[in-house]
Amino acid sequence: MGMLSKAKGTRRAYWFILPAALCMLFVHFIPIIWGAYISLLDLDVYTLTQWTSAPFVKLGNYIKLFSGKFAVGQRFLRSVYNVFVYGLVTIPTGYIIGLLVALLLNRNFVGRTFVRGIILLPYITPDSVAYNVWRFIFQARIGLVNKYLLKFGLIQEPLVWLVGKRALTAVIIASIWKGWPFACLILLAGLQGIPAELYEAAKIDGASVWQQFKMITLPMLAPVTKTLLLLNVIWNFHAYNQFYILLGGSVGEAHVPSTFIMQEAFTNLHYGMGSAMSVVLMILIVILIAILLRSKRRASYES
Amino acid sequence: MKAEMQQSSRFTLNEISRKKLFTKEVVLRILLYLGVFLVLVIVLAPYLWMVSGSFKTSLEIQAADVTRPDLEPRWIPRTFTLENYAKINKTVPMLDYFRNSIIISLGTMFFSIIISITAAYALSRYNFKGKTAVTLGVASTQLFPGIAFLIPYFILFTLINRYFGIQLRNTYPGMILTYTTFAIPFSILMLRNFLDTVPREIDEQAQIDGCSPLGALFRVIIPLSAPGIVAVGIYSFIMAWNEVLFASILTGRATKTVAVGILEYITQQQSRWSQMMAACIIISIPVLLLFTFMQRYIVEGIVSGATKG
Repeated sequence: MGMLSKAKGTRRAYWFILPAALCMLFVHFIPIIWGAYISLLDLDVYTLTQWTSAPFVKLGNYIKLFSGKFAVGQRFLRSVYNVFVYGLVTIPTGYIIGLLVALLLNRNFVGRTFVRGIILLPYITPDSVAYNVWRFIFQARIGLVNKYLLKFGLIQEPLVWLVGKRALTAVIIASIWKGWPFACLILLAGLQGIPAELYEAAKIDGASVWQQFKMITLPMLAPVTKTLLLLNVIWNFHAYNQFYILLGGSVGEAHVPSTFIMQEAFTNLHYGMGSAMSVVLMILIVILIAILLRSKRRASYES
Repeated sequence: MKAEMQQSSRFTLNEISRKKLFTKEVVLRILLYLGVFLVLVIVLAPYLWMVSGSFKTSLEIQAADVTRPDLEPRWIPRTFTLENYAKINKTVPMLDYFRNSIIISLGTMFFSIIISITAAYALSRYNFKGKTAVTLGVASTQLFPGIAFLIPYFILFTLINRYFGIQLRNTYPGMILTYTTFAIPFSILMLRNFLDTVPREIDEQAQIDGCSPLGALFRVIIPLSAPGIVAVGIYSFIMAWNEVLFASILTGRATKTVAVGILEYITQQQSRWSQMMAACIIISIPVLLLFTFMQRYIVEGIVSGATKG
């Protein structure tokens, strides 16, 4: 940049960024801020086109959510509980499977490249394909899951998977199947970044395989593990497709915030209430991420 | 004599331990291959079930019953049929949805590349006030759940239509704008990382040789960052192809994409599983093809995005 005047370069940089900034302003930031305002209104389908005339209820929607007296509030809190359960099962399980397979794929064997490509299939398959196939697999009368559970004598009668109390379990199983390859991909890259000399030195010192795993592999994977955790926590609270598609739109007891807000806003047409729940969801995400980042920073100070 | 015995016994001991080591090695190898086999079965079983379902007659699937051994669902179709593929457009206008998806995804790919390459170039090459804020702003968009801006965004579309007479809902430009914006935050960060690896001397040299900054970008930098651009383009295409949440609210008959159109095979009255499985295969093809050809670039991009970003 030596030849150019600084001010001119700066102005050019703004021009370069402008289209991206405008797009994000229009689709992300204005709607988010405006959504926060809508959450203070009692905006429904009748007031939608004259939205300025919608009653300004201040924190009314939020009070409804947390007072415990209204069904919508109880169901929303239930959906938050569900998404925590969902994440507490899928994230660790996906990580462990991903790590085990990454360790497996980090060894030399015939057809390794091929297998490494194949395991990415669930990750790249469109959500609507993968979860519709799992919906087919989980069908009570014609599905594979019940076929094998019956065959191995684990159940006596076909189970209903996609409605009622087993719905969340079904979503969790399908999501783990779809989610672990991403963890595996990242962990494999992490494994390949560990210098081989570390293991050689440990072997000379007589460390067992387990000790090598505990003292070298796990600590060296800590940075990618933290990134994975951060991404997975964010994505966990975005969960929508797996519930909506697998359960065929009738989510029932298994609602998570996104599906419940969707129903409240676009089926019951309570836009104000839907926005209030979205704001709560965003605050929740921001708090969790702040906690994670803080612990991440503290951990890096210590080491 | 004694020393000799010791030596021979040591020799046999060595032999035994070597044999043990050898068997241990063989057992480990077998376990390794068993593990790999197990992983392949778990990954591939749903795909095999999808393929097998797509070749079954709807009658076979409807009549299946897990409780009756004579009717239990089978991996190999009892009657093999190609009807589900031949009549792909019969019950659900899948080919129309396919066309919509192609148009929207290509449009998204095009605009996302253009918009994110210039922004990434500015972030990589210039120092300006608010640079950190811009980078943080770009990254922060990834935090928000789609549902959080879907409601106000939908209302925004409604109001724009009311006050300016511009219909964005259920139109290609509206959907392309939406998806382009979804694609650019990750694309900008990925391309910035990529451009950071292209030495600055190259664009300085181009400018000395008489290129304008824009000319340097298009004539020198873009060709050099082709792999990064390809990765970003494919990421954007796949993102638009797969998106469900916004498509379910903002598209109608005229612009419905495959990702939501496919749900129409199952209605309250009828479940057309075999046709749906055939459609599942068809709509996976573009994604799988793009990914297979460009696997290296995309995997590199994802991995570097996750480990450096």
